[in-house]
Amino acid sequence: MSYYDVDAILTDGEKVPCTFELEVPYLGHLNNAPSQVLKPGTPLTLPLWLAELLALASSGDSSPPLTLNIPPCLGTAVLSALKADPRAVPLRDQSVHLYGVGVRMLDLFDEKELSEVLRRTWTVRAGDVGLHARKADEGGLGGQQEEFLRGLEEWERKLFRRAHEGVKGAKEWTERVKK
Amino acid sequence: MYGDTGMKLVQHAKRTQSLAHLPPYQTELVRAVTREVRDLDKDVSELLEPFQGSFDPSADQAVATTLLVNHLSMRRNKRCLLAYHRTRTEKLEELVWNGADVVDLSGQQVRADGATTTSSLSPQEEEYVRQYSDLLAAYKGQWTDIDLTGSLEPPRDLFIDVRVLKDAGEIQTEYGAITLTKNSQFYVRQGDVERLIAQGYLQKLSG
Repeated sequence: MSYYDVDAILTDGEKVPCTFELEVPYLGHLNNAPSQVLKPGTPLTLPLWLAELLALASSGDSSPPLTLNIPPCLGTAVLSALKADPRAVPLRDQSVHLYGVGVRMLDLFDEKELSEVLRRTWTVRAGDVGLHARKADEGGLGGQQEEFLRGLEEWERKLFRRAHEGVKGAKEWTERVKK
Repeated sequence: MYGDTGMKLVQHAKRTQSLAHLPPYQTELVRAVTREVRDLDKDVSELLEPFQGSFDPSADQAVATTLLVNHLSMRRNKRCLLAYHRTRTEKLEELVWNGADVVDLSGQQVRADGATTTSSLSPQEEEYVRQYSDLLAAYKGQWTDIDLTGSLEPPRDLFIDVRVLKDAGEIQTEYGAITLTKNSQFYVRQGDVERLIAQGYLQKLSG
């Protein structure tokens, strides 16, 4: 991950639910109420770039000003759907950067199950992505294809584009050799 | 919320990556993000003012947290600004290697009335393209018998038919000088005219 990586920056901008633990008079704007005091226990949704470091910041023996929670896109409902059939879930509707957010969450939480489900989801779906990429220029696999491709999140989209370019490039090359 | 404008810039950068040309420079957004950084910096100075340089973070957690939020927001904005500009600069370099010059690039966007042209580049970017082109030309000048920005495709024929689309003046080739006037046709060595084809002066006719 590079500092200048546009995708990493966008992933960093994904919002996660968290709870504020301190009373801070100046930070009402985080709760969309700039004139009010931010009270302890206020639920907030903050972008990762802010929430992650606030959840880790603590001075001396005091607790960090924020507790972070797992976002709903990686919640139990989504996880059980993914466990049932990874192909049937349009990941994009959950989060455009689902895997990116997942990796970041796994850096912070020790969630063995989440890691396993994500890993399996990726492998199963990646195989399908490759298949669709191969067939994309031959009229595809029908209406189901469109539905599946629409549901790809960013990592998968990138994989699809690469695979598709690869297939196209190989075809162009063999045709040139024949000439 | 802080950082939202920066996010818009990065979304622009993301779109730029998949485009063949360079969309207009977002002067307003860039200005808004830098203004936000300046405001945040002012807030930090004001917060720290009463402490006279002896602030103890563990003594006042509320202020410490606010400072952290402001600092992170500034850092975030800086990253967004840098990523936006770097994405564009990389695109510009690529375009320069493909044979575009500053006139092509800045004249890309023509207003509907046709009279005024607005550049899609910021003044700094125009200057960058100019200097980068000079640098590239100087680098290429070290090798006179190989064109570093030439096509990587091996030519099928040494000579090709071309039609002149725009007057391009006289060019020197190994076989003497030819004057390229509009609508005329020539049988020339591909290597001599590749540049002009890329720039749109000539059109290659398939034989």
